Amino acid sequence: MIEPKRVLRALAEHWALLEPLCEHFDQGTLSLAELRSQLAAQQLDSTPQDITSLLDVWIRLDILVPVAKSPNRFELNAQIHDFLAYLRREHRLGLCLEIEAYLRHLERLAGYIQDAFDIRDSNDLARQLRLLDMRVRDVLKKLANDEQALVAVAERAKTSDRQIPLRQRYAEVLATWDEYVEPMIQLVNADGAFEQGVRKVENVLLRMLTEQQRLGHLVDDDMLLRTHARILEMQTSAQLTLRHARELLLPLREEARRHNAVTRGAALALSAIRRKGIDAVPQAAMPMFTRPQSTFLGSSGQVEAYVYALARFEPKPARFPKAHKSHKGEAPRAPRTVKEMLERCEEALPMPDLMHWLLEQEPDGATDELLYWFSRLSREKRFKRERLERRDYHTHEHQVSLRSFALLSARDDQPENSASTPHAS
Amino acid sequence: MHLDLSELSQLAPIFRELFKGYHVSRRDPELYAQLSNFQDQYRTLFKALGFELVCDTRGFYYFVPDLAAAQVNKTAQRLALFTFILVEHLADQGRDPIAVLDGGSLGRDELPSLLEKYRDLFIQAEVQTQDELEEKIMRRMTQLGFASEEPGIYRFLPPMHRFLDVCLSVQQDRDLAASLHSVLPLPTPVLIDHDSDEKLLETDDPLDLSEFVEGEDSEEDALARAIAEEQELDA
Repeated sequence: MIEPKRVLRALAEHWALLEPLCEHFDQGTLSLAELRSQLAAQQLDSTPQDITSLLDVWIRLDILVPVAKSPNRFELNAQIHDFLAYLRREHRLGLCLEIEAYLRHLERLAGYIQDAFDIRDSNDLARQLRLLDMRVRDVLKKLANDEQALVAVAERAKTSDRQIPLRQRYAEVLATWDEYVEPMIQLVNADGAFEQGVRKVENVLLRMLTEQQRLGHLVDDDMLLRTHARILEMQTSAQLTLRHARELLLPLREEARRHNAVTRGAALALSAIRRKGIDAVPQAAMPMFTRPQSTFLGSSGQVEAYVYALARFEPKPARFPKAHKSHKGEAPRAPRTVKEMLERCEEALPMPDLMHWLLEQEPDGATDELLYWFSRLSREKRFKRERLERRDYHTHEHQVSLRSFALLSARDDQPENSASTPHAS
Repeated sequence: MHLDLSELSQLAPIFRELFKGYHVSRRDPELYAQLSNFQDQYRTLFKALGFELVCDTRGFYYFVPDLAAAQVNKTAQRLALFTFILVEHLADQGRDPIAVLDGGSLGRDELPSLLEKYRDLFIQAEVQTQDELEEKIMRRMTQLGFASEEPGIYRFLPPMHRFLDVCLSVQQDRDLAASLHSVLPLPTPVLIDHDSDEKLLETDDPLDLSEFVEGEDSEEDALARAIAEEQELDA
């Protein structure tokens, strides 16, 4: 039997050496040579004999234990390791299954308590109640430890190198979620083992309190009330731990999932594009605003003239009509609107020659205006057009040579029209 | 809503930029601050003028075209293709695509190898040379506010989330995934040739199923192959 005081004294005395070693032991075991070199690095003025005697002390106090089947490798005694981890706030995440096992045990204890009460065995009842109380403390301790461990998991994920792949960076988060948080959600669910266990113990304790009033006291009421309060504390604590875990890990998990979804989406899109071209991915044609482009018909000469005129633009002085003067002569005609022209054109269907009709309608019209209407009306979807032979037309000021169209209503012969292809002009 | 035009002090430059198809983000602090302070006013004003201003909570503003008038936008297709390529390229290299596309940067010197690696795909975006890649894609990204050019690098800006959303919507597109599977060659039916008939006849035992067992094996193999392919696709 090793005296506890000596172990504690050794831990306190050698804390400066033990603490850095803990990190190494967290990763695995150390060989004797590695241990010696670690200690030598920390104690520069120590001799090899000093290190040997130090290691001897630790081994004698069971702080260091040899690894099974490898006598030259050492690890920290598991109990000491846990104690040091607690002191260093280095928490290892436990298993959800452990909590479940504790809860099943709580349920069994509730049964034993009931049995002891039924046979009025006050000693056994007190013993079982103490066991129950300690078991609840175990669960509470575990929950507190797990919560700290979860914080550490989230911190590691957040602080690790941004350059390493997200999948790698969040591997621990994803594993923790699947192995701890998800089963914990099941466990703490309304119909999960946690609630069931707690309810069963609670019922036994409350029934006992009432029965004691009737049958007389076997144990102190306070003890029952304390245990009951602790059970409720355990339940709240589990819910809080779970909520905290979700708050910590859910965003990280979502980020990792989103990352996977983005990478997978890109790969899927590329594979579709490779096989069927960019049009196979309709999502790629994301709606993007583009400056509306004016479409106007004009020869290169016209464009040149337009630009030339723009460069030498001079505003005309605005002439406002005078109120006292009546308007003399013919009023200037308002320009024709597209709607008006379309209606007139529609009324004149079927039209053997569009250009000829335009010249009839606007005998004094400017050539570019007539050509504009020619282009606009011949492209109108509600008309069916047929190209005519090339011939000359005489406008007010020019002679134009073009292939005009005969226009028909597209509605009249829908079935035929669907098969015909429009002529490019 | 009451609109006080004197409040909208950046109206002209904001409209000019948005009208070009530009995405305003924190990169343009003045415009961005104006838009975020008077978001509703700007949206109402532009709506009345027939422009739909989108305020994305991830920190950027842009105009969307009228859906009825929207045509297939070549630039959008080109930039989306570039995003797909970049995401895959970064993931292949073990880098984090989201970290790069959400505020990270891409070295100019990485472009030639990217072009070389994905030449077959870049051709679909009518990009064949480094100059074309810079001109048709990188410059366009800069002009539209998706990226900014800094010495030697291109830095990606928050509006890139629009393309990341495209990746997500592709991932959720079951039809697209199904159409990819449908182009896989159909399994060729195995015809029993005359030899195998004869082999069957050779067996003395009329209940000998060895021929069929072989068939079952190959079916299992095919299933295993299909599962492996599926997993490969999932990975």
